[in-house]
Amino acid sequence: MKRVLVVCGTGIATSTLVADKVRKHLESVGIDARVEQATVMDLHRGASGFDLVVATAQVTQDVGVPVVKGLAFLTGMGVDEALAEIEGHLRD
Amino acid sequence: MEAFSGFVTDLGAAAALPFVIFLFAVLIRQPAGDALRSAVKVGIGFIGINLVVGVLFTYVGPASEALAGRFDVDLTVIDVGWPSTAAIAFGAQVGAFAIPVGLLVNVLLVAVGLTKTLNIDLWNYWHIAFTGALVAIVADSFAAGLVTAGIHMAILLALADWSAPLIQRYYGYEGISLPHGTSVPYVLFAIPMNWLFERIPGLKSAKADPESIRRRFGVFGEATVLGVILGVIIGALAFGFDDPRADSIAILQLAINLGAVMLLLPRMVAVLMEALIPISEAAQRMVKKRFPNREIYIGLDSAIAIGAPAVIATSLLLVPITLLLAVVLPGNRVLPLVDLATIPFIVAMMVPIFRGNILRSVVGGTFVMGLGLYIATAMSGVMTEAADRVGFDAAQSGAEGISSLVDGGNPLSWLIVQAGRAEWIGLGLLAAFALLLLLWVKGNGRRFVERMAEDVEPMQVA
Repeated sequence: MKRVLVVCGTGIATSTLVADKVRKHLESVGIDARVEQATVMDLHRGASGFDLVVATAQVTQDVGVPVVKGLAFLTGMGVDEALAEIEGHLRD
Repeated sequence: MEAFSGFVTDLGAAAALPFVIFLFAVLIRQPAGDALRSAVKVGIGFIGINLVVGVLFTYVGPASEALAGRFDVDLTVIDVGWPSTAAIAFGAQVGAFAIPVGLLVNVLLVAVGLTKTLNIDLWNYWHIAFTGALVAIVADSFAAGLVTAGIHMAILLALADWSAPLIQRYYGYEGISLPHGTSVPYVLFAIPMNWLFERIPGLKSAKADPESIRRRFGVFGEATVLGVILGVIIGALAFGFDDPRADSIAILQLAINLGAVMLLLPRMVAVLMEALIPISEAAQRMVKKRFPNREIYIGLDSAIAIGAPAVIATSLLLVPITLLLAVVLPGNRVLPLVDLATIPFIVAMMVPIFRGNILRSVVGGTFVMGLGLYIATAMSGVMTEAADRVGFDAAQSGAEGISSLVDGGNPLSWLIVQAGRAEWIGLGLLAAFALLLLLWVKGNGRRFVERMAEDVEPMQVA
């Protein structure tokens, strides 16, 4: 099972929205994954134990795993591309 | 009518709000099953928040009372944080109606060309619901509350338009603005402050490294750890250690319960949010369809601006500074707790104006946090009343009242509530102010920030 961490400023507000979409998409394409939420401040020790980070906030340091920008989910533009990128990372 | 309104009040927000949400969801053509699911979940979110706030009061109330007894500090107004503030806002009678009112004002202002921002971040309409709810109380008028929410939206849009060139350049986002009720009012403070700082030699060039601050103070950023540490410090000060057995029990219980509140309170809000996602998306689609060809900024949550190293470093340093301010500022009665974790949202839009300079950001941040404590103290009366009306029982503990640093301590929210106290005359003046601001931002204000943006270096990404 893959583990995805969705991070934003509060660990709640925008990440809930993104996590909801990522979870539904992964389910529909048959990828077994657990999607969790955190704040960007929680990343200061990295994202060990996760396969991928999706962030609506900026992640400027190296967290050890790929980071996908979650802005598309908020604006509604480029959502399919972002989901494809997430899927691509998890299928590797 | 009176009997009905009395019935709704006695029913409480947790049981009444689901009806309003169900109605909305059906109106924007959600299937009835989904609408019902959303509606019930909103009620559940409410009950969850109420339970966790109960834990907060049970443990922090007696501690703040003991603190007042042992020292000459009166910090008996508890900072219940943005999760509770948002719940109070949406739970008030004005609450859920703020969403259609805010959307209508936004669509009208875009249509007549007074704003470029289309605020699709419906969750954050709670900020205008909050001022609406408070004004409905102080002016004793539901209509005044709705009008207030509309004017508040107009002011947020003007400030979002105004700051957009700076934000877009610093964070590197195209076509986006941040009409976020917590963050955007502070650009009004940061711009003149930055002008002043440019003229103070020591502040002009001083540099601090955000990475080393993050390494050293990073622990303040983890809400649960912060909660436990705060619990130990407040507990030790409040209960002392005269009776090692009883006092150590009291201190450790306070610590773990405060850690629990920091984790659980936002989680409960997530339940409320999940319920609103489908409604929010349907409304977004309806509004966006109306302006397919116009150049607009998409208004988003300032969460997308959190995470810049300078924002995080500034916020981490402001945690101990805010606690210290709460103790030393004469007349402050607010005990900062839950919103210490929300400081990044207060500084997110100030940092780009200070060009990512941490020393300037901390000095500017210290000023607005100090001011915020006084405002939160002044707002606690009406906020406690609003909490009481939605069924959060603050009076059951030693706490004398509640407030929050986010929105409860917000200068714009305070200004709006003050206007509301003067009822329709005040609201008329406020509406005139909003209109003048929108017009100014379109003209001279725009040129002013565009000149400023030329000097802003985009944020460094490692």
